[in-house]
Amino acid sequence: MEQADNPSSPARVQDLGSAREGVGQWWMQRMTAVALIPLTLWLVASFLQHVADDYAALTAWLRRPLAAVLMVLLLMALCYHMALGLKVIVEDYVHVERVKVASVALIHLLSVALAVAGIFATLRIALAG
Amino acid sequence: MPRALRPLSPDLQIYRPQLTSVLSITHRITGVVLSAGAFLLVGWLASAAAGPDDYARLHALLGTGFGLTAMLAWTFALFYHLCNGIRHLFWDAGRGFELEAIYASGWAVLGASIALTAAAWILSSRV
Amino acid sequence: MLIRSSEQQPRVTLLRRFPVPRNFALARESRIRRGRTWQAPAGAKRVKRFEIYRYDPDSGENPRIDTFEVDVGSCGPMVLDVLIKIKSAIDSTLTFRRSCREGICGSCAMNIDGSNWLACTRPVAGTAEPTTIYPLNRLRVIKDLVPDLTHLYAQYALIEPWLKTRGPAPERERLQSPAEADQLNGKDGKGPAACILCFCCTAGCPSHWWNGRRFLGPAALLQAWRWLADTRDEATAERLDALEDPFRLYRCHTILNCTRTCPKGLNPGQAIAAIKQKIAQRRS
Repeated sequence: MEQADNPSSPARVQDLGSAREGVGQWWMQRMTAVALIPLTLWLVASFLQHVADDYAALTAWLRRPLAAVLMVLLLMALCYHMALGLKVIVEDYVHVERVKVASVALIHLLSVALAVAGIFATLRIALAG
Repeated sequence: MPRALRPLSPDLQIYRPQLTSVLSITHRITGVVLSAGAFLLVGWLASAAAGPDDYARLHALLGTGFGLTAMLAWTFALFYHLCNGIRHLFWDAGRGFELEAIYASGWAVLGASIALTAAAWILSSRV
Repeated sequence: MLIRSSEQQPRVTLLRRFPVPRNFALARESRIRRGRTWQAPAGAKRVKRFEIYRYDPDSGENPRIDTFEVDVGSCGPMVLDVLIKIKSAIDSTLTFRRSCREGICGSCAMNIDGSNWLACTRPVAGTAEPTTIYPLNRLRVIKDLVPDLTHLYAQYALIEPWLKTRGPAPERERLQSPAEADQLNGKDGKGPAACILCFCCTAGCPSHWWNGRRFLGPAALLQAWRWLADTRDEATAERLDALEDPFRLYRCHTILNCTRTCPKGLNPGQAIAAIKQKIAQRRS
């Protein structure tokens, strides 16, 4: 949680200047949040409905087109939302520049990998004979 | 002799926990829990894609005390993050900023997420 | 419990402070030690204890917490009255800022019982036992309850808090309708123009604690909104350009400690949301 001390000289308060961006990520955080409201409610409802299912019944459920499409959408919105959220947390608490940049890069790569793995698994179930 | 560096006044160590800051840090913690949950969700999908044996193994793991605790934490995190997320969306739309509304919605989020967690577990154990 | 206005204190306190060590994450020079106790004078009738942060730059020693036993029956009703009583009757080296003693100059902003407020408008009745008093948070301390506000003033200057126009000056003054003026003063007198720059909000904002070097904080952003909301100002575009930054503006996570603590009952959190809305507006 250590950070560089606040500059005592008013001339230094400009720091590196305004990035003139930030609204894009802020907006996407909200858009994915809005998408995730119905999608997570659907996921919870589905879990409750299929909690006692055996393997055959469960894969039968995921083979239904609507379920597969919603699961893919959920994974995309979830991983996007997660990447943005974790990035902000790292930026808040990590003040060693190299560690911060590396952590943010790792978060982005892991989020993409997670989304791809999840979507691939869903499609494999959905499209299996 | 005067020292080079003046002390920094304390912040987190002494600032009073309030509904505002406590719910905010809870939103962040539940977000991290849900990130772990995202890995679990993908793991669950991958095991189902791999075949009945792998799926059965993961299913057995979820039935252990550890698995059930993780699922309980995930359920509460999900409902809390969902409810408080909606509260945040209202703020982003410029609504609900009166202090009374901030507190009322905060308590409502807390109550709703506990109630929804309980309801989900009762419903899932019924079948 | 339900808090309806910022001056309201909770009736029950579940947790006086977050469960972290007292000197958690504090650098060597900032760690706080236990100081001395100043006993109540013999014959004192209503004794109340005050634990006060002390730092003497000339001693070469670390900050400490001194305990003062004060006869509150023999001094004024506000926390500032107690501080003045201590300075005049117990320890004349106690150092703090004060001026107007009626909540309009913002000088005596400090952390009382764990949240930021003006010492002159906080009644002693209703404070905890013992009352704890610290300087505003996460600032370099000059002496005792006097923090260095240079950086916060510089952040205020960064938002260029003056009227900026482009066209030629009008013949007469620049007029505003009452409704337009309400945007600044607020119908209830609690608009952004009522800010006294005491920095209770910025010092109480966790996001400013972790990223105060780059995040402008609620006080400066409330003032940024004050000029964006001014119908006479013609520099909205460049003001928004200067604000749109992942740290300067978007480090605000709507924690709302600012709105909870404002001793004037203003709403920095709402003003920051309004700035974010304006920036979102110009995208589509």
